Amino acid sequence: MRFDYFFEPTSADECTQLLNEYGPDAKPLAGGTDLVVKMRNRLLKPKVLVSLNQMPELGRVYKYDDGIKIGAMARLMDVSRSPLLTGPWEVVKRGAGHVSSTQVRNIATIGGNTCNASPSADTIPGMMVLDAVATIRGPQGEREMPLEHFFKGPGLTALERGEFLQGFTIRNFPNGNGAAYKKYAIRGDTDIAIIGVAARLQVDADNVITDARLVVGAVAPVPLRIPDVEKLLIGQALTDELAVSVGEAAGEWIKPISDARATAGYRREMVRVWTKHVLKEAYGKAVQK
Amino acid sequence: MRTAEAVTINISFTVNGSPYTIDIEPYKTVLEVLRDDLRLTGTKQGCEDGNCGACTIIMNGKAVKCCSILIGQARDAKILTIEGLEGEDGLHPLQQAFIDHFAIQCGFCTPGMIMMAKAVLDENPHATEEDIREAMHGNLCRCTGYVKIIEAVEAARDHILAGR
Repeated sequence: MRFDYFFEPTSADECTQLLNEYGPDAKPLAGGTDLVVKMRNRLLKPKVLVSLNQMPELGRVYKYDDGIKIGAMARLMDVSRSPLLTGPWEVVKRGAGHVSSTQVRNIATIGGNTCNASPSADTIPGMMVLDAVATIRGPQGEREMPLEHFFKGPGLTALERGEFLQGFTIRNFPNGNGAAYKKYAIRGDTDIAIIGVAARLQVDADNVITDARLVVGAVAPVPLRIPDVEKLLIGQALTDELAVSVGEAAGEWIKPISDARATAGYRREMVRVWTKHVLKEAYGKAVQK
Repeated sequence: MRTAEAVTINISFTVNGSPYTIDIEPYKTVLEVLRDDLRLTGTKQGCEDGNCGACTIIMNGKAVKCCSILIGQARDAKILTIEGLEGEDGLHPLQQAFIDHFAIQCGFCTPGMIMMAKAVLDENPHATEEDIREAMHGNLCRCTGYVKIIEAVEAARDHILAGR
């Protein structure tokens, strides 16, 4: 593994300036648990690394009037234990806690897990069902983008020259919302997810579903939101039969591939089962409130 | 003009209490610097992709896999490696427990196992078997089947608690 320059900017301005100057030759470095391994395996060959580790404000997690902000450099271990992530936001804790091992979570970041843009990333489905918005910092200042539009393919993001991911904003949810994420892997969290499913359900006073999100990981080139399947839930109370039929629909809708972890057919089966479980868990949390 | 040689970075950190300030190629990992430059070879190079845990050290109080951490990320860090565990009274209770409970066969995973176990007990001196297994699932051992390792960590935990 070789590269020419290692920069450690201490401000966002300096950071975007460096990323802009070196363009495609440069990569931002967060925790490095994916990037360093990819560089060693020559999957990525940047000439310049721009470390985000000397900008402590990028690691902040804090509430504000309209929701919660999670800095891109928040370490996954800290996210997985954050006392601020309550109610439906807990699904973000769950996702972060499912990433790999203790040692990896201690240094890996939520922004890094996002920008690595793996379809199987554990933190993404949970944030997507919460309608998370990504804040992107570039030479022209900040811009925002719904997280579901951030991914362009495996390893590919909407970040343009000079830009880096600054963090996420997740809105407040009224009572009657519940969210859940389940990862399926053979060897527990150390393994990459074979599939992952997240859902958020909002119910009214009669426990009828008024809003739904369903996001499935590792079944498409990007983490996949399935609005056509979400629609099947609206206007109904969740029964076992409905959970099963929505699971079937999700299994039909996805376009999984066969790879070293599982065949496409197995993924389809597991999405059916996991969707059913996740819907029940999310509904249970929604109606408790 | 871009130079052919990488521009070195100047970086300070402590390892096992000793301060270091070095000029170093930024593409070196913490593991490479520990083993090749500081000659601290107790930390092992295993899979080199963040899976096996043989390279586990404690950096700023947290267990990390240093094969996938660049040296630039260790700026001003306090690093503890297996070489720093032995005290004036002899072996650390975890080291002694691994010997007493036959938790070592080939020994390759042992430094990483012990450093991970230390981080677990530092954070939670009352860690249960379940806590220990959950926290240590990122450390692979191909010899022991883990039972002896968990027994050793629990014995060390009890020893440390009794000594308070």
